[in-house]
Amino acid sequence: MITLIEETLTQFLFVIFLSPLFAGIFARIKAMVESRKGPSIFQPYYDIFKLLRKDTLIPENSSFLFRYVPYVAFGVYCIIALIIPVVIPEPIIFTASADFLGGAILFSLAAFLKMAAAMDSGSNFTAMGVSRLMSFNVLGEGALITVFIAVSLITGTNNPYVTNAFLVSHPSANLTLVHVFATVAFFMIFLYETGKIPLESAGMQELGMIDEGLNYEYSGKLLAINKWSSYIKQYLLGAVLLNVFLFPWWLTASSPGFLLDIPIMIGKFVLLILIVMVIETTLAKVRLFKVLDYLAVAFTFSILFLLLSEVIP
Amino acid sequence: MNFSSAIYLTSAAVLITAFYIQGQRYLISAIRGQLVQSTIIAAIAFILAYTENSIDLLILGILLFFLRGVLITYLLAARVPMKKAYYFESGINVPYLFLVDLVFMVVSVFILYSIAFSGLVPVTLPDSPQDLLFPLLLFFQGLFLITSRRSTFTQIVGYVEEENALVLFAMFLLPVPIVIEASVFLDVLALVVISSVITVEKVNHEQMEELRG
Repeated sequence: MITLIEETLTQFLFVIFLSPLFAGIFARIKAMVESRKGPSIFQPYYDIFKLLRKDTLIPENSSFLFRYVPYVAFGVYCIIALIIPVVIPEPIIFTASADFLGGAILFSLAAFLKMAAAMDSGSNFTAMGVSRLMSFNVLGEGALITVFIAVSLITGTNNPYVTNAFLVSHPSANLTLVHVFATVAFFMIFLYETGKIPLESAGMQELGMIDEGLNYEYSGKLLAINKWSSYIKQYLLGAVLLNVFLFPWWLTASSPGFLLDIPIMIGKFVLLILIVMVIETTLAKVRLFKVLDYLAVAFTFSILFLLLSEVIP
Repeated sequence: MNFSSAIYLTSAAVLITAFYIQGQRYLISAIRGQLVQSTIIAAIAFILAYTENSIDLLILGILLFFLRGVLITYLLAARVPMKKAYYFESGINVPYLFLVDLVFMVVSVFILYSIAFSGLVPVTLPDSPQDLLFPLLLFFQGLFLITSRRSTFTQIVGYVEEENALVLFAMFLLPVPIVIEASVFLDVLALVVISSVITVEKVNHEQMEELRG
């Protein structure tokens, strides 16, 4: 029982406190690739601490949604951190509260809440960002949920921990066509959800402004919470991609051994960052109205995967 | 890796080329996509020829490669209008096309495959009857390509895709008789003649103009 509590605390604290670090490492490596000096890898922490000390301005016409949703969304991401195998490959205390599909729906819930709260501010920029996000999420969230449903068909269970254990113990299952399709689809969705370069959604440039559009009216403490939850979301999606699709090996669950998972997960995530870096620095950004084409391809892959895994064992 | 999984993988590649052609705006790229598709199907014919020890399938593969892969690609590409590399079809909505394509796939899998073909056991692939699914999906995609485009070139590519599906289906289902090879040959000959005439006449076909007096 004590081991279980330790494991739960390790996973939870790891996700909460180390997720900004990965964003910092990403920015640093990207700067190095582009021959810039770049910010420190701890820059996201500095940003969060700075914003936490600042005053919060709230639009006059906004309601309680605008003020409380950042905290709720942060809490939703914290729950997801407990129910999917992002650090420890064995079920922990709150794992039983939802399955894999539950995790996907919680991601959608957080996205919906953030959009509702952003619309509540009444800003034109926010409305633009939300309308873009809504039209893209038709396919984006659809593909995310389809991949999560479909991955359960491989193992016949909806528990991501079982999927992870199955993929570790059956190496050939990683090379089946259905698994490859799912991995490609999820990788595309990962790039979209984290706003990486072929469809850059971060940044203040008006032509591609999506994520920043949602945060446009936020300031101070609320902005810090929003930024922090987006770091957590990036880490969670990346960890699912690594542990359930791309590279499920090397995690241990024995009593003192689980502490080794921390450096191993950091190493695996840096590997993922390097893969994404190659894509970021070689591809150009697609035009905004081409993002739907990209998402349609991801959605097609995920549905193909569903069909193939249903018909062809 | 055994041969049935090799056939399975190459068939899946055929499916991906079909999606590539479906989402392609540029005519020359769609025509080259058809070249890749025909070559992959010829490769499947070669694999089957090796496993079945059949000279018929070998000839079929060679015919497929040279007639569909080389001849049709050359003829169509030669007739694409000026500024070839930049000639594209406007007004193509990729998400819509892919979604409708997926609906076709769901229909073909869950209705046709599970009802009409559930009892079939292919002679050439007795271990994996589910591979018959791939030609079926390809056939529907070819049909949809013809209906969804206005450009004559893409419509001809869609027709070639359907023919590819039929050949793939025949290869999987039965040991190939010489009749199929002959039909492939005639098909291609007719196709070359028809395509040369039609593409010279006009490049785009509007929806209702064939019905006007």
